[in-house]
Amino acid sequence: MDSLQGLAYGFGVALSGPNLLACLFGVLVGTVVGVLPGIGPIGAMALLIPSTFSLGPTTALIMLAGIYYGSMYGGSTTSILINVPGEAASVVTAIDGYQMARKGRAGAALAVSAMGSFVAGSLGIVALMFFAPLLAELALEFGPPEYFALTLVGLIFLSGLGGGSKLKSFLMVAFGLLLGTVGMEPISGLPRFTLGQLSLAQGVELVPVAMGLYGIGEVLIIAERITGIPDLVKVKLRELFPTAAEWKKAFPPMLRGGGIGFFIGLIPGPAAILSTFAAYSLEKRISKHPEEFGKGAIEGVAGPEAANNSATAGAMVPLLALGVPFAPATALLLGALIIHGVQPGPLLMTQQPDIFWGVVASMYIGNLVLLILNLPLVGVFASILRLPQYLLMGLILLLCLVGTYSVNNSLLDIYLLIGMGGVGYFLRKLKFDMAPLILALVLGPMMEKTLSQSLFMARGDVGSIILRPISLALYSVAVAVIFLPYLYRLAAKKSNGRRK
Amino acid sequence: MPFRALPIVSLCFLLLGIAYLADTSKLPLGSAAKPGAGLFPLLVGTSLLGLSLILFIRSLQGKGILEKDQEPFPEGRDRRRVLAVAVTLALFGLLLNPLGYGLCSAALMAAILRLLGLRSWGRIVLISFVTAALSFCLFDFLLGVPLPKGVFLS
Repeated sequence: MDSLQGLAYGFGVALSGPNLLACLFGVLVGTVVGVLPGIGPIGAMALLIPSTFSLGPTTALIMLAGIYYGSMYGGSTTSILINVPGEAASVVTAIDGYQMARKGRAGAALAVSAMGSFVAGSLGIVALMFFAPLLAELALEFGPPEYFALTLVGLIFLSGLGGGSKLKSFLMVAFGLLLGTVGMEPISGLPRFTLGQLSLAQGVELVPVAMGLYGIGEVLIIAERITGIPDLVKVKLRELFPTAAEWKKAFPPMLRGGGIGFFIGLIPGPAAILSTFAAYSLEKRISKHPEEFGKGAIEGVAGPEAANNSATAGAMVPLLALGVPFAPATALLLGALIIHGVQPGPLLMTQQPDIFWGVVASMYIGNLVLLILNLPLVGVFASILRLPQYLLMGLILLLCLVGTYSVNNSLLDIYLLIGMGGVGYFLRKLKFDMAPLILALVLGPMMEKTLSQSLFMARGDVGSIILRPISLALYSVAVAVIFLPYLYRLAAKKSNGRRK
Repeated sequence: MPFRALPIVSLCFLLLGIAYLADTSKLPLGSAAKPGAGLFPLLVGTSLLGLSLILFIRSLQGKGILEKDQEPFPEGRDRRRVLAVAVTLALFGLLLNPLGYGLCSAALMAAILRLLGLRSWGRIVLISFVTAALSFCLFDFLLGVPLPKGVFLS
């Protein structure tokens, strides 16, 4: 099936009643959690995974993916209106977006960010559509050693590029892998580290861990401070249209941001967040009037907002083509696929075209819906922020608790959720990165299985596993990521020394 | 002086690593050609132990505990509020089975509302009972999740 045939087929799948509803529901939830502080796309996806059990895998994935890219639209709303980013990926938008709002151009900022998200999101999906099949074809050559290399290098990349302390990030990887080894060993089925609990034999569930770290942990941080209801800038519908001059300025950054976002999305790491910073600094660098940045430059809104949206499309590539997620949100999508009994990997596209093409087509539909939904209804979404903090936090906690319980009807999951909430609070305060933890938990069993298979295949010859061409290339890149910054610093020191 | 949480947290990871490796030693290690269930945990446990040890030592030396490496922990009333929310959650977990979902969720909601600043007791009672009832209907009746009924209802 070539791309266009596939896409036509996908639209057939995505436009069927339940899938269309799932897409609408997903992007709506995504927008709402994007607006709300305290619960982000990851918490919301984890929360809704249990409710997809009765749906088919395609419908489930369409809905969950909708939450993921939908939240990128919602996050910008609060950045612009009250200078509080709903999501980390919208931090940069607040810089110029809020300044525009203060100058009375809130409507234009919102419109440009929604349009930018739409343009770049669509570009990203086109790229996804052409890239993923190519990558999947290449990945058919991959054996266990290559998969082991890919997962290991992915985790190293994520920890090395995440910003903050690498030591802390690597510790999070080890902690996530440790949690992933609880339960039955993937090859022999021997139960391990179950502390005598029968329900732990199935392993540590992703849902309570993700919801504890991202939901409860965040609520505990919010509980540190009692805040009133923020002052909202009122936006009227007719103010939503940017002037011709604003359009002209904003359109090229949308395209550039879309391009940067997609490629950063492919790399393991907090893609959406990094892409916004990259797009912002690019716009500032090539601008003829860089002094306007930080004072309400429309390019500073259009570029990053475009970038974070196409980054989500980029992040879908490794998930759909290789079955390997490189971001926490796609890790949750993988978790959902596995729960639904779907074997992710390079064969997904040919063996389960419903899922691949259905999801891709639903992303086109979802982006269009988001554009329609976000422009006229932006006031409605912003008014969610008028809900008092106590009510919101109470509801979020209750939803996390019941949602976790509903996965297995198990009290143990509730304890895990609450425990992880406490862990998440401390780790957040100490600036540990959560993404490596979540990803390691999901990738851990895959790593262990492929490592065992590789060793078995190579009869214990570690050298021959590492020296396979694709693996070797991957490992070299990882070594470079770890050591290049140090070498660079060393070289800089030396040249400084010489100057003295 | 900032609250020295990093030494404590890294020590916890260190102890976790030791306990984990102790449990790993009971698993078959296998050979390089035929790895057993203990090989991967051994690698993971050793990494965790090593990394947490480095972090612990560095934190004792005073590295990584500066203001830029951690957010300030709350003090006084703010700290008590966070603790109270945490205790509320723990009590919810412990009492869910004996007391049932209805009562526990209403109590949780009431506690959170009060702790996070709603003053009127009338509203607290009203909101918490309405949310408990609505969420019970949604999850138990509509979504078919068998929530614990507790001693009073069963």
